[in-house]
Amino acid sequence: MSASFIHRSILTVGFLSLFHAAYSAAQHRSYLRLNELDFSHLPLDIFIQALVSLFIIMYGVLQVVGDFKEIKASAELENKSWETFRNIPSFYIFCHRGGKSSIQSTKSSLEEIE
Amino acid sequence: MSTKAKNEPAVAYSELAIRNNLSIVEYCRTSVAAVSGCTAGVLGLTGLYGALFFIVAVTGFWLMLLFKAGIDSWRKFFISRKSLLINGIFGHFFTYILCWTFIYGMVHVY
Repeated sequence: MSASFIHRSILTVGFLSLFHAAYSAAQHRSYLRLNELDFSHLPLDIFIQALVSLFIIMYGVLQVVGDFKEIKASAELENKSWETFRNIPSFYIFCHRGGKSSIQSTKSSLEEIE
Repeated sequence: MSTKAKNEPAVAYSELAIRNNLSIVEYCRTSVAAVSGCTAGVLGLTGLYGALFFIVAVTGFWLMLLFKAGIDSWRKFFISRKSLLINGIFGHFFTYILCWTFIYGMVHVY
């Protein structure tokens, strides 16, 4: 949960940074317009900030969506033993001849007979 | 590739896991297309530079995806890594153009 919170906050920081870069670019444009200058290119810091925030958002999205599952069909079964599969609780039998031959039950049954 | 497949024993894949992985990748790629469109709009790219930026962003995301899956162990999670890069790229390109033009208009025109 805490890891997910960290990744979510990375994603939020990325979006805020991108929004800030967009706002700076808009202000730069309005500054150029007021001074009647021509637009050639953005200032380097806004450029770098936009690119870096793009990669931060990519990283955040990639971490937030969760982990991949293994696509091999046997991947989930590899750490289970054959006994786990053969175990069928509905077919358990408790009343069989083994009960008669064990010492304790023999004693108790003899007492019952007596 | 076909000779390789002949030599290797057939592998059974779990369809649920494949579908889960591909839906994760699709979600990521859609959001990356939208966000890289926004970035291209902020940067004020026009014409072919925008298309180039899209290619760079998608390739960068593809590398990050492979890095997350593990450079050696991506075969555990995906059948083909080329299809991760190519699949549905035009659909994402239109998402990209939508966000690109919208943000360009918001930042640079108005």
